[in-house]
Amino acid sequence: MNLASMRTRFRSNTHAAALALAAAAMLVPAQLLPVLSTESSGRNRTDTIFSGAKELWHQGLWAIAIIVFVASILIPVLKLAGLAWLLFKARGGAPANPRRLTRIYAALDFIGRWSMLDVFLAAFLTGLVQFGELSTVEPRGGIVAFAAAVVLTIMATQAFDPRVLWRDSASLPS
Amino acid sequence: MATNFRLTCYLCGHEHRAVRLSPGQKAVCVRCDAVLAKGSRLGPDTALAFSLTGLILSVPAIFLPFIAAGKLGDLRISRVLTGVGGFWDRGLAGTGTLVLLCGCVLPLALLASLAVLHAPARLGFRQRTDFGSLYRAARILEHWAIPEVQVLAVLVALMKLGSLVDVTIGPGFWCYCGMAVSLLVAEHSFDFDTTSPFPAAAENAPEAAP
Repeated sequence: MNLASMRTRFRSNTHAAALALAAAAMLVPAQLLPVLSTESSGRNRTDTIFSGAKELWHQGLWAIAIIVFVASILIPVLKLAGLAWLLFKARGGAPANPRRLTRIYAALDFIGRWSMLDVFLAAFLTGLVQFGELSTVEPRGGIVAFAAAVVLTIMATQAFDPRVLWRDSASLPS
Repeated sequence: MATNFRLTCYLCGHEHRAVRLSPGQKAVCVRCDAVLAKGSRLGPDTALAFSLTGLILSVPAIFLPFIAAGKLGDLRISRVLTGVGGFWDRGLAGTGTLVLLCGCVLPLALLASLAVLHAPARLGFRQRTDFGSLYRAARILEHWAIPEVQVLAVLVALMKLGSLVDVTIGPGFWCYCGMAVSLLVAEHSFDFDTTSPFPAAAENAPEAAP
């Protein structure tokens, strides 16, 4: 099977809906479970994504707190809500405003990658901050759920075929 | 000026005959407004030049120190793959592999694909095989090769670490940033004239609006 037919095969709205549902389910443990625990000079704290962003805010690092909040909480939720909306609009034929919906799809496709920020961040901190008794950072289970949720949302967006938003989509070559 | 190459909109599937773009011009899908190609302001060699630059920079980016962190005389030097190793050692092999793929392996694969797609025409080789599959692979890789996200993650980490440890940025990080920028430039200067991934002519297709 060549790449083109493989892609066509995996591109269907049923696949997109299934992947989006799986991503939504994965997002629950991803947001509720701790992702990182930090130990510094005897003080130990374990953070979920939200509490990590909140802590940054309290430290006065507002810009960073906002970046983390947008990338890790807002974008995955927006992306899944947007995808659900597109799937809803595309059910049973082409909708009335395909141009706007295609733009929404392009935007969802673009923002998705930034959710990986927290996974890279956790990996980088785990690799760097290993000072034994003085200061260590350890990953926690939530990061696995979060990484899975991000991968599933990217796969769901890829599986959605925006050509179904257009009336002549059936006659187009795959 | 129209060429004989078929350009299918990656979003809505509308077909166009590709047009030769002047520097700074964009080819836009007549139906959904998606930007299909851009004429690079830096000339037709841009994509090849930047994909090769990215490949060269990736060597020091991987092997030179990324960030050095010190705490009370104890110094740790991390490289770009140190975090991947950290995840692997703690049993998070899948997540570690994801970081390895999205941050290093796939950006390199995408840079190499872009270089291979552009090299024959720009360097004057004869193109012996059809690059259609490679072109489609590159379009898929674009979604997973995300070194720019890793750069932002490292910057966020550095701000976060400011109070915890003393950090120094190493040459590996700058090379990695250079690689990420080269990849973005190479991706956005994709040249349809010289790569012609779809040599089949579509005579009746409308021209993409410049």
